[in-house]
Amino acid sequence: MREFEINLEQLSPEVTLIHVAGWLDAHTFEYMEQTINNLFDEGKVRLAVDLSSVEYISSAGAGVFIGTLSASHERGGDIVLMNPTEPVREVFDMLGLSQVFKFAKTGPEAVKLLKK
Amino acid sequence: MSDSRLTDRLEVAAHTRNLALVREFLHGAIKRSALPATDINKVVLAVDEAVANTIQHGYEGRDPGNVEILIEADSERFSVKIRDSGVSYDTAKGIESKADLDLQKHIASGNKRGLGLFIMRKVMDEVSYTSREGDRNELTLVKYIKPRN
Repeated sequence: MREFEINLEQLSPEVTLIHVAGWLDAHTFEYMEQTINNLFDEGKVRLAVDLSSVEYISSAGAGVFIGTLSASHERGGDIVLMNPTEPVREVFDMLGLSQVFKFAKTGPEAVKLLKK
Repeated sequence: MSDSRLTDRLEVAAHTRNLALVREFLHGAIKRSALPATDINKVVLAVDEAVANTIQHGYEGRDPGNVEILIEADSERFSVKIRDSGVSYDTAKGIESKADLDLQKHIASGNKRGLGLFIMRKVMDEVSYTSREGDRNELTLVKYIKPRN
């Protein structure tokens, strides 16, 4: 089982897709946070996050997305989450985050939601 | 029923890299207990939050010690005690507080703190904390297996 892995893909000139795999917990969340901060530093503020391979998420992991939501808005950007697995969906529902975030099933749908 | 009685113990260094080991240990223990399968992920999550809090706050700025996880279960309750020798951490105040987190307001402000405690309270039926100076701290989480009358 992969502990944690992040891969980046440019979905469109403006939208960066972050593929996340493995466990997003109190041990790995800082790596996720750092990746997003680096993207912000590069001016990439429209982010889609593919959660289809995240096997586990705790509040530390969910907290990264909460922070990113407000930080991206402050920079004129936004964040869209894609295809959360059942364990991720359970935690998001528990924390009331399923109503807070935008969700997309496909790359084109995410790009459309992230348009200015 | 005596066949549903279960005790188990794990002691790990207080480092977040050991959280995966803690979750694996819990999965195994819960599967052997009388807790319904639908509670497995939630209870593992709540305990993971508790242990992460202990590791991150109990040993902040100090040499990391160990964290002990003790499971005691029977046909009526699944109890997890998390013991450490770090400093008493702020979460304890939250546990004693009666006020519930206004989650939506909290999230809207971009605040990430306190979510672990929210999860612990939401999932578990009892959350209590004891701390004695010069002695170990103990956080106890209990999930009832049968509704109490």
